[in-house]
Amino acid sequence: MAIAHEFDYVKPGTLREAVNTVARYGTRARVLAGGTDLITLIAENMVTPDAVVDIKGIAGLDKIEFKNGVLTIGALVTFSDLRDSPVIAKKFPVIHQMTGWVASVGIRNRATMVGNICSAVPCCDSGPILLVYDAAVLVVGPSGKRKVPLRDWFLGPRKTVLKRGEIATGVTLALPRKKHGACFVKLRRYEGEDLAQASVTVLAYADNTYRISFGSVAPRPIRGERIEALLAGRALSDDLIQEAVRLVPEEIAPITDIRATKEYRMHMVGVMLERGLRAAVERITGSGPAYGTSVI
Amino acid sequence: MSSLKIVGESPERIDGLEKITGAATYVDDIDFGARLLHAEIVETPYAHALIKSIDTSAAEKVPGVVRVITGKDFPYRFGLYMQDRFSFPTDRVRFVGEQVAAVVAHDAKTAKRAAKLVKVVYEELEPVLDLTKALRDDAVLVHPDLGNYTRCPWFFPQAGTNIAHWRKTRKGDIEKGFKEADVILEDIYTVPRYSHCAIEPHVIVGLYDLSGRLTLWSASQSPYTQRHVLAQALAPLGLSHKDIRVVTPYVGGGFGGKAGVSMEIIGAALAITVKGQPVKVRWSRAQEFYNTYQRQGVIARIKLGAKKDGTITAIEHTLHWDAGAYVEYGANVVNAVGLSATGPYRIPNVKIDSVCVYTNLPPSGPYRGFGYSEFHFGLESHMNRMAHKLGMDPVEFRRKNAIREGDTLAYGAKMNPSGLHEAIDRVAAEIGWGKKEVSKDPNKVIGKGFACFWKAPALPPNAASAAFMKFNEDGSLNISVSGMEIGQGFLTVMAQIAAEILTVPMERIRVELPDTDRNAYEWQTVGSHVTWGCGNAVKAAALELRGKMFEVVERALGIARDTLYLEDEKVKCRTRADFELPLQNFVINGIQTSHGNFIGGPILGSGVFMPEFTSALSDPETSQGGHPNVHYTVGAAAVTLEIDKKTGKMRVLKATLAVDAGKAINPGLVKGQIVGGIVQGLATVLYEDIRYDLKGKLVNANFTDYKIPTSMDVPDEIVPIIVEVAQPDGPFGARGTGEHTMIPAAAMVANAVEDAIGLRMKIMPITAEKVALELQGISYEDVKGSYMGLCFAGHPDAYKFHTKASTKK
Repeated sequence: MAIAHEFDYVKPGTLREAVNTVARYGTRARVLAGGTDLITLIAENMVTPDAVVDIKGIAGLDKIEFKNGVLTIGALVTFSDLRDSPVIAKKFPVIHQMTGWVASVGIRNRATMVGNICSAVPCCDSGPILLVYDAAVLVVGPSGKRKVPLRDWFLGPRKTVLKRGEIATGVTLALPRKKHGACFVKLRRYEGEDLAQASVTVLAYADNTYRISFGSVAPRPIRGERIEALLAGRALSDDLIQEAVRLVPEEIAPITDIRATKEYRMHMVGVMLERGLRAAVERITGSGPAYGTSVI
Repeated sequence: MSSLKIVGESPERIDGLEKITGAATYVDDIDFGARLLHAEIVETPYAHALIKSIDTSAAEKVPGVVRVITGKDFPYRFGLYMQDRFSFPTDRVRFVGEQVAAVVAHDAKTAKRAAKLVKVVYEELEPVLDLTKALRDDAVLVHPDLGNYTRCPWFFPQAGTNIAHWRKTRKGDIEKGFKEADVILEDIYTVPRYSHCAIEPHVIVGLYDLSGRLTLWSASQSPYTQRHVLAQALAPLGLSHKDIRVVTPYVGGGFGGKAGVSMEIIGAALAITVKGQPVKVRWSRAQEFYNTYQRQGVIARIKLGAKKDGTITAIEHTLHWDAGAYVEYGANVVNAVGLSATGPYRIPNVKIDSVCVYTNLPPSGPYRGFGYSEFHFGLESHMNRMAHKLGMDPVEFRRKNAIREGDTLAYGAKMNPSGLHEAIDRVAAEIGWGKKEVSKDPNKVIGKGFACFWKAPALPPNAASAAFMKFNEDGSLNISVSGMEIGQGFLTVMAQIAAEILTVPMERIRVELPDTDRNAYEWQTVGSHVTWGCGNAVKAAALELRGKMFEVVERALGIARDTLYLEDEKVKCRTRADFELPLQNFVINGIQTSHGNFIGGPILGSGVFMPEFTSALSDPETSQGGHPNVHYTVGAAAVTLEIDKKTGKMRVLKATLAVDAGKAINPGLVKGQIVGGIVQGLATVLYEDIRYDLKGKLVNANFTDYKIPTSMDVPDEIVPIIVEVAQPDGPFGARGTGEHTMIPAAAMVANAVEDAIGLRMKIMPITAEKVALELQGISYEDVKGSYMGLCFAGHPDAYKFHTKASTKK
């Protein structure tokens, strides 16, 4: 499809230059990494920036680093890069699993995880999964660097805390020191590529504490804090799971849209939470369904 | 034919290597050079409105813009069976996305920018977005001039209403039939609209050259019909058939969507207005959804009567079709169903009313199955329910009533040879009918579903096929036909038919893609009829070639032609074992006699086929008296379905389908059709889910929210079964199978759902969401939000099958 909108295309070679350029155009600039979201928006005239600042020429943003138990994913790291990374597969198998369910291979070859959280659509897969790891976004702007905890990052659909002139350069998260298991449950309309109708991510620790997040059931990816509090310190049992499921309506606020009704989302989040909890706990000891298997 | 050599085998498809290596050329691949112009369409945002004015002046001033075209420049109406569609509407728009103007520019970007500057003033009208309102006595009319439209003689539009066509079929005595019944079951089934979603969007390049010749390179399954429809529409400009040439390279899928003429009228119109320069119109994926054809939606009421022993006594089948803004092709879908909505069963008393209703949704038209998938969903669901009501096994109930050769069809003609009973038995055996399966997962249950199907090609009685054939100097062969290779393997099958008769190996045969200047005539590649129809023409041409060769041998060498036969590319003689003459020795240059002269010359020929026994003329009140369908292809299918009771998610563990191909000329390709048809059919029932908002705008004209199957969605196991009860008038006994393989999919899933969890789903699609909600006691219809899948937003169970005209009579 032809792009009718006219804009300046800038491809800076350094981060400083990129920040200066973005600052100069202010809200009229959009940062381009994978472009799988931005370019389609421009083609459909949904977004009409004065400048597109392509950060693909900036060295160092394409790295996956794992040092001293801390994982840093650069802004140019694609989902395919993540999927092919031995460190991710070994240390963060649930992220590895998630990358296999994001869009299709062609999209994954271009789309970046940082771009995914910058687009900030409520159905993004990266948001919920990074939330359970208490990840933070690395931001560079005119006044220097800052680190934004992911739980403060999303403001609403397509809105983040990124300020004028700022660029997200990566995300960072720590590998939990405690023994743990995790499960990413994504509700899709069929087996092919799909945006999540709803998603539930569970990170369960051997000490019976839990991190839980939800996607597509609120204006932004959210943590299930009430449920986490309920479960904290308690071994999983059928009764406890049912108690947790009963709290779901207090945690999420699904709507009816073209992808699902709120009734189905509400019902399914309960089912997904139950199965996700069980699988995550089983995986702590290496039992349960293998990572990559859908539990729904 | 005693022993067949290549017919019945599965040689590699002759277009296979070209396609997998990327050598195959499609319209958009053709390089027209730098002078190629590009078009952008100005579309209406309203479902129904009057056009008050169009101001193109600002757009025309944009540098790079060549022309801006509106209905003032190009007001012509067109249509296949009824001329109700507009190249550009002049006074009224009838669906969201309809073209009101087009900008032609030197590049696509400029065209797109300028299109935004075209100012159209509309006066909004109440849109017809509800079948109930469409059929009310005081309905807003989509086509106030319906009474004046040119149409084919077997359509019955009712002027002053939104009824574009009403096919009535009456057989026996319906009241008596229901009186004889011990059990009567009546219910309503709803099928929304669907989109074809061929990989290649529609695209056309038109060039009206300085000599007044219009050439169109078109992604089409109907080159000749396009030429004919366009010639009719362009006649006011002085163009006739000989002035129009349609060239169709390979197409990336059709499924009916590239039959007839839809957006191609725009390509022709624009070409004519920019004489001397080629212009391309290429549809976006969104336009592909809303401005070509869609499969029409339908609400159907079935009343079925049967005796205690399972004998069906009567059927009353009423179908109200949401056929959209233009029905120039779609009304024939309604017509086809009106003749065949008994399904493949012997039913003595029949009343069918198939009503084609204009609405302000996008135009409907042909889609693989041509209405049969739609009515089979209800009918085959109903057959299961009736069996249960009678306390009979659903397969046994079907077998008892299954149609046989010689039975009287609903419109009075006789049923053709049919392997339906064999298909039923083989499918039942393959699926393990009657054997309950249990899932290892306690959350999951397994059900089985069964369905029969039938379908006839819906052709005008004079739909003809023709073939030209000629030998080359080396004895290789060129076949020139105008059937379209749309993935089904048409080229390969035509080559096999010629190879069988002429003993020329497949690799020495070339079958040409259509060019209406050069290739022989074919009505259209639709209705699963080209293997049968064009196959007959190719067979006739091959026989003509063979006859000419024997005649030349007789004249040159004095060997009686009736002693000659072909083997291994040689003419041989039954009475002279030592005689053999390679074809390449004489098929161009003739045979030299002892006098030194040559006898013969290039061997070429032609073949023609027309179903001369058909007739569309019948009593409009009963449909009795004609012979509208050439024959039916029948079959049966079944599925083993696993359902997660908590999530509603369904997984097809196994699907099997038996189709009576008459004779499978290429069993591998028939099996390919079975697998593809099942996958496409399963998608329509499990997740394809079209959505309109309540103002008639299609809101999922994309693959983000309209899901078609991926390789991940293919069932775990598909078992294709080929039944062969020969079609006497088919080439080697063949009849078509292409569309049929998706027809039973929806009903067999619905029946499996009921078998597994006891829920009867009567509204397509049957998504995991609907199943899960139903299991929670929530009706999806109550919570679905402000969407509709066809032109009816209410609950189908409340639908009243009222029509203005029905109260008159």
